[in-house]
Amino acid sequence: MSAAASPIPVPALDIRALVAGYEPDLPIVRGVDLTVPSGDFLVLLGPNGAGKSTLVKAIAGVVPIKSGTVHLRGQDITSVPSHRKIARGLAFVPQTENIFATLSIHENLQLAAAILPKAERAGLIDRLYRRFPDLARQPSRLAGALSGGQRQMLAVARALIVDPAVLILDEPSAGLSPKIVGEVFSMLREINGEGVTIVLVEQNVKAALSVSRRAVVLVEGRIAHEGQADGLFGDPLLARLYLGTSHSVEAAVP
Amino acid sequence: MNPQFLMDGLVAGAMIGLGAIGVTLTYSILRFANFGHGELLSWGAYLALAVSGALGLLSTSLTRPIGPFSFGWSLPLAAIVAVLLTGALALAVDAVLFGRLRARGSAVIILVMASFGASLALRSLLEFLFTSKPAYFTKALQIAMPLGAGLRATPDQLLSLAVALLAVLAVHLLMTRTDIGRAMRAVSENPALAGIAGVDVRRVIRVVWMLGAGLACLAGIMTGLLVQIRPYLGHDLLLPLFAAAILGGIGSVPGAMLAGLVVGLSEAAAVQIVGAEWRAAVSFIILVAVLLFRPRGLFGRSA
Repeated sequence: MSAAASPIPVPALDIRALVAGYEPDLPIVRGVDLTVPSGDFLVLLGPNGAGKSTLVKAIAGVVPIKSGTVHLRGQDITSVPSHRKIARGLAFVPQTENIFATLSIHENLQLAAAILPKAERAGLIDRLYRRFPDLARQPSRLAGALSGGQRQMLAVARALIVDPAVLILDEPSAGLSPKIVGEVFSMLREINGEGVTIVLVEQNVKAALSVSRRAVVLVEGRIAHEGQADGLFGDPLLARLYLGTSHSVEAAVP
Repeated sequence: MNPQFLMDGLVAGAMIGLGAIGVTLTYSILRFANFGHGELLSWGAYLALAVSGALGLLSTSLTRPIGPFSFGWSLPLAAIVAVLLTGALALAVDAVLFGRLRARGSAVIILVMASFGASLALRSLLEFLFTSKPAYFTKALQIAMPLGAGLRATPDQLLSLAVALLAVLAVHLLMTRTDIGRAMRAVSENPALAGIAGVDVRRVIRVVWMLGAGLACLAGIMTGLLVQIRPYLGHDLLLPLFAAAILGGIGSVPGAMLAGLVVGLSEAAAVQIVGAEWRAAVSFIILVAVLLFRPRGLFGRSA
């Protein structure tokens, strides 16, 4: 922090006028401005097709950005290729296929550690094993043989290896039993407690709001609501946002 | 039947195996069947021929045969240069052709068709530069040594076998024990996730080309040494290469080598049992049988 005069801390993530989508002339994210302060736990909500996943994928560099900027801790990372973002401190856990099934648990972690100096790798992997004792039990086991919850643990462990400033997760609860969802979320709360800023995309609105600090609701590629997570679940506003634009009952708050 | 077919089959199979490793790596990591891979064998052989010829002009002592072998130091030296040049050729073709198609998000069939075109162009260029007349690394003749049990082999053949097995072992260790090998397997499974995990996918692709082309070059040199050098050298091995890559299981390095030996031995056995005119049919039969009955091959992962 060289700007000694500035009393405003640099946000962990600062997104300005972001337009992004798979096809150049069909933007799914249509102008998003979002500031995520350092240490925040933010959940992105919204009906199906609102652009939540596309937004986080664009930030991670997996979906092309058409216009707008993304700053990570004050640094412009808009055009940094996806494989260099992890070294900058931005870790992303995709929704599905977020581990290498044909590699062992240990190889999954070694692969992620490869961007670090050789001397530090073993120590950092050991630290992750202490944190996730389930993974340490059979490090040579193929990751493809793990249960859904263990896969999610491995995916998060992989993302944590470089001590990221921001951890983005795309629906980590998808396909997991409620008990395991609880475990995953309490793990995320713990990680957030250590100072890692977390951005979470979730369909599981109730569980997500109970764990996060702030909530952003996306509708049709734009931010429709931004505020405290606390109390939003019972708020009729949320139901209106989910139902207001798409008139199907299935799209209502799960 | 003459047991000598075992030795002939092993030697031919080792060359097929080396070539098939490149096919299997391109197929699993770049995700297309590269029908131009055979041309890398031919180019490798001709590049080595050109370099070793040039070295021979510089110093005739380099052409004096080493020990029991038919060639002088000019050939192993030229092989090192040719491996690098063949790798550079593969990178150049990727830069002007495949890389552009990938960047455009072209369908797999477009890449496959492009590889047919590249194959034709590269082969014609070889015929233009070196004519289609067969060429040889050396004029020295070799007498096959008896190895016992009715088997005979020339020192060149035994050396080629040894080099092929060492090369496979080295590639296998690279794939299983090193950062770049792990990254290659990761890209083979899921390129997007590999990128997210910090793997530079473009670098991995360059390594795949260098590795596949380098092994193709070695296979081409050995085939040229043991038989003769022709512009169609690699093209004629294309079907055996694909049969071995698919029998071995796409993505498996030891599988490709083992399957190469199986294909080589089957071809040699077919020559003995049903006649030389059926040799070419063997790869085809193996290819079809594997695709019908065990599409993932010997060591491949299920799709």
